[in-house]
Amino acid sequence: MSYSLNINGQTMEVDAAPETPLLWVLRDHLGLTGTKFGCGIAQCGACTVHVDGQALRSCQIPVDSLAGAEIRTIEALDPAGQHPLQTVWAEMNVPQCGYCQSGMLMAAAALLEANPNPTDDDIDLYVDNICRCGTYPRVRAAIHRAAEIMRT
Amino acid sequence: MNDAFTPKMNRRGFMVSVLGAGGALVMGTRLQAGYTDAAPWGTEQPAGTTEFTPWIAIQPDGKVIVYVAHPDIGNGVLTQAISYVYEELAPRWDDLKAEYASPNRNWKQGNFYGNVGGPLGYFSGRSTSQPRRDAYLGAAAGARERLKVAAGAAWGVDAAEITVAEGVLTHAGSGNSAPFTDFLAEAAAVTFEAEPTPKPREEWTFLGKESPPKIQIPQITNGTAIYGMDVRLPDMVYAALRQSPVMGGRLKSFDFEAIRNMPGVRAAVEITPTDLAEPNRVEPPFPFGVGPVQSGVAVIADHYWQARTALDAMPIEWDDGPGVKWTDTKMMNDAALAAVETAGDVLLSVGDVNADFEKGGTIVEARYLTPYCEQMPMEPLNGTAMVTEDRVEMWHPSQHTQMAWSMAVQQTGVNPDNIEVHQTFVGGGFGRRVFSDDARTVVAVAQQYPGVPVHTIWSREEATRQGRYRPLMAGMLKARLGEDGLPTSLLARVSGGPGFFSMGIGDTAFPLVLENAQVESVVVPDFHVLTGPYRGPGYNSTIFFVESFIDEMANAAGQDTLDYRIALYSKWSDPGWVKILEELRTQSGWGTPLPEGQARGVAIGNWGMGGRSEHGTTLGAVVHAEVTREGKLTVHRVDVAFDSGRIMNRDAVQVELEGGTLFGLNMALNEGLNIRDGRIVEGNYDEYPMLRIGDIPEIHVHFGGLTDADRYDEIGEPPIGPVGPALANAIFQITGKRIRTQPFREHDLSWGGAA
Repeated sequence: MSYSLNINGQTMEVDAAPETPLLWVLRDHLGLTGTKFGCGIAQCGACTVHVDGQALRSCQIPVDSLAGAEIRTIEALDPAGQHPLQTVWAEMNVPQCGYCQSGMLMAAAALLEANPNPTDDDIDLYVDNICRCGTYPRVRAAIHRAAEIMRT
Repeated sequence: MNDAFTPKMNRRGFMVSVLGAGGALVMGTRLQAGYTDAAPWGTEQPAGTTEFTPWIAIQPDGKVIVYVAHPDIGNGVLTQAISYVYEELAPRWDDLKAEYASPNRNWKQGNFYGNVGGPLGYFSGRSTSQPRRDAYLGAAAGARERLKVAAGAAWGVDAAEITVAEGVLTHAGSGNSAPFTDFLAEAAAVTFEAEPTPKPREEWTFLGKESPPKIQIPQITNGTAIYGMDVRLPDMVYAALRQSPVMGGRLKSFDFEAIRNMPGVRAAVEITPTDLAEPNRVEPPFPFGVGPVQSGVAVIADHYWQARTALDAMPIEWDDGPGVKWTDTKMMNDAALAAVETAGDVLLSVGDVNADFEKGGTIVEARYLTPYCEQMPMEPLNGTAMVTEDRVEMWHPSQHTQMAWSMAVQQTGVNPDNIEVHQTFVGGGFGRRVFSDDARTVVAVAQQYPGVPVHTIWSREEATRQGRYRPLMAGMLKARLGEDGLPTSLLARVSGGPGFFSMGIGDTAFPLVLENAQVESVVVPDFHVLTGPYRGPGYNSTIFFVESFIDEMANAAGQDTLDYRIALYSKWSDPGWVKILEELRTQSGWGTPLPEGQARGVAIGNWGMGGRSEHGTTLGAVVHAEVTREGKLTVHRVDVAFDSGRIMNRDAVQVELEGGTLFGLNMALNEGLNIRDGRIVEGNYDEYPMLRIGDIPEIHVHFGGLTDADRYDEIGEPPIGPVGPALANAIFQITGKRIRTQPFREHDLSWGGAA
């Protein structure tokens, strides 16, 4: 089947079976490999992207459900890689291996867009991605710091 | 094709060369502080690039390339490597670029990189170990002095009067000043009778003082970093893999006709298992045989999702092999526990344990068990290989690039001169990608579909069930307490399947301070489940045994568990142990009152000491936990203090200790694989839980345990041992229940007559 998707502000054509998860359409058909495969069952969140502004796990979204949806991936979080989350992530030495961090950043970005001053509980709820390296303390601190920068 | 290959060149000393015309290098235009490429495996250097040993190259535009032989799995190795060079060479920090060293070049130049730091040194852990540090500092000092000599000759001044900073050579007296790049060719021609000596530590201005964050963070946060999973090559196809669900079993049949017409499907190929008697074609970097391929089948398709869907639909039959006899987890646990009841190989024998036991008094005795655990790196196992008759090229997320390379040699028999492994970003390792069975399996699949790059991906479930696990281990410890409550003798036995790790039981401080100690190891020969280096091998189980047992002794003696440890470990000659415990006492609020249902527990261990004083890294943890009467456990806070001797990058140390603390906590609390009819039961994170951001305690890392002893020892593995027993010890203080098996979540922790 042929699909026309709105990804990162561009229209992209893809030919894939209807049930193909968005994750694999992004990664294998379109070469947008910033969105990661970690579990395939919506547990880990490494594949988190924005669909109409909402952080969703792309491994569970079939390509044929995306007509008209605005999809945003880590590659477009900021055109220059200078989103406050990205700069704070570097300053605070947040990532370790880094593999889960695209998903963490997309979850955090959606949270901050909806809630410019999140509490710890908000972060616990909306950024529940798995990180095996244990970056959680710095992820939390960096989200608070980025929120502060974005508010001022 | 079984000929043993030998390197063509002998090891050489300081090598300087000017590279000839290379391909035009397209440099990124974006400048950033110290950096690496999204594709970190290196590129052909531009013409005029000058090498100052295979560790350092300076390009005509002033970029300084630092070659790194150890994959950065998130521990900051790339940053540390350029930090060494920055200290001695004094280029602009922004000009420093890290690239992975080529294992092919390593081979062709007589194991140049691999010879530094021993078989486990290069291409594996220990980024700050002395041999590696000395290599970088020496190469950088040699380059700097050559540049000074060349500049001195050009200016007609004494080279010794030239100063170097920010990539610029300056002679104050004559007013001359010029960048490194003005003298590259001349510097390359300079020879010294003796290589320049790096500065003494006291004169360092950067190392140990500054804490640069990891240089690869921009590529991680903008999504451009190329992990193994992200390799995309012309004509590449994807393979989905399934191997015998019972390890050691064999593929009996598969029905490709059933899936032949599914979208994108190209082939199904059989993976034949390695003959374990096969001779080594090259000397492997590990001094023991590793990496055999297990029997399996792979479906190859245009896209991964197609390959995976087809694999799931394809009928496959297996011969399970002897491992199927283990009907459930309990049967294996019982076998491991039975093994510690019989005498085993002696790891340590001092005095006369039995004679001491016969003196009577208080005898403490306990048995412990830890389960199989999977490293579960976030990036599932995968890799890309292109195999032709006379060439192998790989792009691999390895934890030991040279081992992956050696496995490609071993699997194919292709001349090693024609085998290259490109080291990609790595989405976590924790030991899983060291032995390189994954790399060899990727090559084995690609061999069956030659001529194009084949990207083989394990599903998460497949990766979990085809692991090289933390071994299932049992421990039996028995001690007699003297009148002061401290032990006078210890009998300790550990057991596990073939290849299990016994580090941390006979070579840790506890038995070494006793007059009578007997430590033994027993192998259960028919355990079929494959094991490997899970973060803190051996130590991740043995410290749970030892430090739980010390707590049991302290409680039997009616003493404070921290005071008891100080009394015990003050007998050990390395002062770090007591210093850490005192630091923890001060920092954790040890002894201050807590509400009902809350308590603190402590534990301490050393990773890497190998029976020696002032070796390895000692680490202690105090865990502050709460257990409701109904048995709900909350970990409020973990305090960690450590002694690695010295530290190089304070924040890198802190971040790794934070992560390691959480890893050790998750291991003890949550992790364990079950067996049913020889198969691993758990497949994905829904069955193998991980702490998430809302589950984590406050973590406080303290630096007051450092002794300033002359070593910069490891940081990644030390927290893995003590955090679990510190928590178990806190749980005991609250509930009176002694937790002797992991994972803790399987225990009923209710207490005080709760309903």
